[in-house]
Amino acid sequence: MKLLDIENLTARYNASDVLKGISFSVEEGEIVALLGANGAGKSTTLRAISGLVPHVSGGLRLGDTSLLGLHTEAIVRLGVSHVPEGRRVFPGLTVEENIILGASNRKGLQKAVLMREVDEKFELFPDLVRLRHTLGWKLSGGQLQMVAVARGLMAKPRLLLLDEPSLGLAPIVVQQVFDIVTEIRRQGTTVLLVEQNANIALSIADRGYVLETGKLLVQGTPAELWGNSQIREAYLGGASAA
Amino acid sequence: MAMFLQLLFTGMGIGAVYALVSLGFVLLICAANIVNFAQGDFAMLGAYLLVLGLNVFSLPYPVAIVLTILLMAIFGVLFAGATYWPLRFRGALPVIISTIGAQIFLENIVLYLYGPVPQVLPGVFNSPGFTVGGVFMDSQYLTILATASLLVLLQYLVFEKTLLGKKIQATNQDKEMASLLGIPVVFMILLTFAYSAALGAVAGVLVGPILFVSVGMGGSIALKAFAANIIGGYGSIPGAIVGGLLLGVAETFGAAYISVPYKDAFAFLIVLAFLAVRPQGLFGEKVAEKA
Repeated sequence: MKLLDIENLTARYNASDVLKGISFSVEEGEIVALLGANGAGKSTTLRAISGLVPHVSGGLRLGDTSLLGLHTEAIVRLGVSHVPEGRRVFPGLTVEENIILGASNRKGLQKAVLMREVDEKFELFPDLVRLRHTLGWKLSGGQLQMVAVARGLMAKPRLLLLDEPSLGLAPIVVQQVFDIVTEIRRQGTTVLLVEQNANIALSIADRGYVLETGKLLVQGTPAELWGNSQIREAYLGGASAA
Repeated sequence: MAMFLQLLFTGMGIGAVYALVSLGFVLLICAANIVNFAQGDFAMLGAYLLVLGLNVFSLPYPVAIVLTILLMAIFGVLFAGATYWPLRFRGALPVIISTIGAQIFLENIVLYLYGPVPQVLPGVFNSPGFTVGGVFMDSQYLTILATASLLVLLQYLVFEKTLLGKKIQATNQDKEMASLLGIPVVFMILLTFAYSAALGAVAGVLVGPILFVSVGMGGSIALKAFAANIIGGYGSIPGAIVGGLLLGVAETFGAAYISVPYKDAFAFLIVLAFLAVRPQGLFGEKVAEKA
């Protein structure tokens, strides 16, 4: 079943379109990767889904509900959790407070249930346990990414949007983060992943889409994308990729 | 020694008023990134509403005060709707200009309705006060100090110990991210405006019986409160409180030991000194600017 269905979506901030009519879908339980160079419109796609782009047209549906014209807060309540580029962990709040606020979209959540789920997130990210009461601005890039993902999961999302989770992280930390994304999917959350690091993204994704200047260039399974030599050279990090 | 303590007591009292207005400033700086030039007029309007409640409608003092603060909280939301909301995507400067407009508008409306004659407000307590060790404890100054302490404590508890406080802080630190988590950002900002206006009203209601209630009272309090904000550290909550108290004490001592006519100048001399020597204020930024 299609969880996210995007049809001929255009989006612009000011005068010119950043997305020029893209169509794709994400099935329930999948990990789908959006790939492409800087400025291709990958982040804008995620921002359009979350209602952060002022001018959007076309079809944008989560299950049976159209997201077009809804406020960001309403979209989050429908179960779309967006971990944006740059992690955006609140610098003046502690790790625990950041994670707790991740559940702000869930009304009437009992304190005991909330705290149990927070503890579960610390089990998922054991490196964060000793940082529980550390302020956000004191964390390293990898730690921020883990807090951001943990916070995003607190929304109990049907669809998790991850924007460049590997950016600026050491390779070993990247691997850790992607192991957790795999684990998140195993637990039943659908993931739409934006990445420049096609290598790592396609290692866990079921399908990938390659964007170029606001248009969809090609789609396929990781094997199909790697098999397309033109695409591989231009967008997927060249021949060095496995 | 008694003289020194007496001045300290009086200075703290007036400083507490500056601190409350300064706190209102800081909250709006944090929540909406604006300097509200009409902040002092929240105090002025609060004082006039109390005059109205007591002298015109003859309400009991506690009822008039509660009503004043409630009305001012509602007024804070209306104020946000008029000055902040239409211009919120245009950056900070247009909003700041529109608060200057609001200041002129509000002061002239009150001038039109009440005229230029200052109004008199009675103190909260009938008794003028009592003497301890040669220091006269004026009941109104005691009320100011007690109320301000209570409010600061209450605000600390709400901001640091409740989920609502954390949501307000999150909204202040990154509005887009807050909305991505489902935090109702608009509600948080309006709540801050309401609270900021209520704080101003409390300051006006408390200081009204000491000064005369006049159209211009807000402007001079706001200038001092803004100075307190700079001394304490621009946008810092503890800075607003400490800066306000410091300023009140400094100008009281300055007036007593150096010169009464230059009383108001001391505040600004201190600000100049701070801007020259320690421009980040006593409490520098807690958080570095986001990259």
